[in-house]
Amino acid sequence: MSVARFDLNKCIGCKSCVTVCPMDVFRFDENAKKSVIAYPENCQSCGQCYVNCLGRALTIVNDMYGYAQTSYRAATTVNMNRTAQAVIDRK
Amino acid sequence: MDKSISRRDFLRGMAGLTAATAVTAIAGVPAAFAEGEAETVERVTTELPIPEVEAPAKTEYECDVLVIGGGFAGLNAAAAAADQGQSVVMIDKGHPGYSGLSPWPSSHRWADKEMGDDYDALRKCIQHGSEYLGNMDLYEVWLEESKSTYERLKDWGILDQYETAAESGYYNQSGNPADCSGDYQGYHEKFYQHDRRTKFASVLKDKGIEYADFTMVTNVIVENNKVCGAIGFHVPSGAIITCHAKAVVMAMGGGCYKPTGFPTGGVTFDGEYIAYNLGLPIAGKEFDDFHMTLSWAPGNAFLNNNWTYLDPLWLCGGDITPETATSYATTKGKVMVLDRVTKSVTGLAVTDGTSVEDMTKQDVTRRGGSTSTNPGEVRFGKRNDTMYKGDIYGAAVGFGAHLTNGVFCGLDDLEGKTSIEGLWVSGDGMMACGPTGAAYPTGVGFTSNFVSTMGNRAGKAAAAYAASASLTPIPADRIAEETEKIEAPLHVEKGFDPNWARDQLMNIMSPYWVYIVKSEESLNAALTQVEYMRDKVIPKLQAASWHDVRLCLEMQHKILNAELSLRASLARQETRGLHYRADFPYRDDENFLCFITLTKNAEGGMDIEKVPVKDEWKGDLSEDYKSRYTYYFPKELETLGLPAEEETGGWGGKK
Repeated sequence: MSVARFDLNKCIGCKSCVTVCPMDVFRFDENAKKSVIAYPENCQSCGQCYVNCLGRALTIVNDMYGYAQTSYRAATTVNMNRTAQAVIDRK
Repeated sequence: MDKSISRRDFLRGMAGLTAATAVTAIAGVPAAFAEGEAETVERVTTELPIPEVEAPAKTEYECDVLVIGGGFAGLNAAAAAADQGQSVVMIDKGHPGYSGLSPWPSSHRWADKEMGDDYDALRKCIQHGSEYLGNMDLYEVWLEESKSTYERLKDWGILDQYETAAESGYYNQSGNPADCSGDYQGYHEKFYQHDRRTKFASVLKDKGIEYADFTMVTNVIVENNKVCGAIGFHVPSGAIITCHAKAVVMAMGGGCYKPTGFPTGGVTFDGEYIAYNLGLPIAGKEFDDFHMTLSWAPGNAFLNNNWTYLDPLWLCGGDITPETATSYATTKGKVMVLDRVTKSVTGLAVTDGTSVEDMTKQDVTRRGGSTSTNPGEVRFGKRNDTMYKGDIYGAAVGFGAHLTNGVFCGLDDLEGKTSIEGLWVSGDGMMACGPTGAAYPTGVGFTSNFVSTMGNRAGKAAAAYAASASLTPIPADRIAEETEKIEAPLHVEKGFDPNWARDQLMNIMSPYWVYIVKSEESLNAALTQVEYMRDKVIPKLQAASWHDVRLCLEMQHKILNAELSLRASLARQETRGLHYRADFPYRDDENFLCFITLTKNAEGGMDIEKVPVKDEWKGDLSEDYKSRYTYYFPKELETLGLPAEEETGGWGGKK
């Protein structure tokens, strides 16, 4: 379970998601004035970002809960981001 | 895909969704889509690259009182210290009101003499329900001060009462009792001015309290047993943040290993780790959390908690009378403490995920509401309609029973004062040995009020101390040393991902035979693995970003917590409340009416001690066993040679 992008066009740059996230999932692109779901693998699916999103640009998806318990995983979070994106792209 | 979600989508008549760009398995369906509105512009679901974040404008603070943590305890401590005229700084790992556990209480309980509460009945109930480990002196504090705490939070707008989700029409719009989805965003937007989380920062601003948010404190600096302040880093940018202070209140919360239904992931035992390494005794670690989650969506905190998040805080109390003092505690014990054990042992029935609970049909006291008919009574208890019913425990493995674990401040402490000059601890997970003792459930609704009450006391005490204390700035070499420690995971060239390590710890600690039904064998087996992780994995945790640095440091804290919990659980060779030992399945009043403290010794090992509770907290020791204890764990009566009881059901009713 995690946050996912519903539609980046709808992000109005209010930064609510960045403010309310207790898990450090979001960053903010100051040039584009858009939020960035940077670390969805650490989302606890609490939904604070979703209910506080003024532009309704976010959603909560079920695909991500229950991560595979691998024997080890690469140190960076980049691979997980790629996986998450692939999941969203598949739709 | 989750079956229940697709079923629910079907119930909601989601034909319009498939016509629009197909996004399946959406838990909170945006209103526009639910109504089947056509989308004309194609959605963009890709993310921009992760941007660099600039360091905050201010990275060095100086104040009279530093409060670490912006939850209920921290907010009340900061406000109280500022009201005493001291300069106050707050540091929060997230943003005040939204971080840690503070966004998530559902109830708020206080004692109210004017509404006819019988304080002797309340005392009897908590003493029985806490299984004689409840701190009755702190309970007296709560009886005296909880109403003023309620009034203070009400003045701040945190307890605003508005239409509940069920009353508002935004909830359960399909009319089907098994449908707990609705327009989450619409309801939130309509009552946004009452959102209690927004009030935290407003109170701080009104009182002129500076705060540094998104900053993780990694150490409290002490020189010659006197506090000098704290060091941490601004997580998005990695900037080192220092705060020199005359007094420090640590209100940093508890923690869990990985949230699987109860959204406690923001707290990760940061304060406990710091306090332990400062040499302070830690207690209460053998008593574990009792929260439930949905077996068909255990990682889905949104479905588990979100309507509760959006509703007003339910006001509770007035539900305990002289006639019900013991039976109230017994019922809570059966449904929330015993059920946890029996469900683990017997396993679960197959569920189709449609089990819902209708609180409006519950007896008022089951909802935590008052039996008083006095005009002016506002404690109506939980008032939501149907909600999905959690059916398994372990929603937050690693989380301690509320108000029981943290720093042990001595039997006579009433404010969270530690043995370090100028250092106080406050709040859930930070200050041990609260009134709820071995079993929290008798105090349901108690936490948000009690920690606010204690935060207020700690803030006042810290301010009074700071008024006549001198500032000892943090020495430069300590800042350099801490900076090096914070940055260390960035320099690990070959190592392990902290997320992987977290999952490994979860695998070790989450089996029910470690977490709920304990035995010497299972605890020792887990301890061996935790020690291995402590020695071999933790030093090699690797970070590729400042976000990862936070995760690496949090893992250090989680591993220490696991060791503390396992060692405390091994030491308590009995069963009591939220600690069940299959190899000692009975209460042992002779040996264990005590707290178990764990303290770091000079050699770096853990000293374990038993501190007997005060005699007057122990209840009537001449009472027979079956009067002192009124619900029984598997094998308990059999082992003691007492007549067996008919099996009683748990949260889900009689089995």
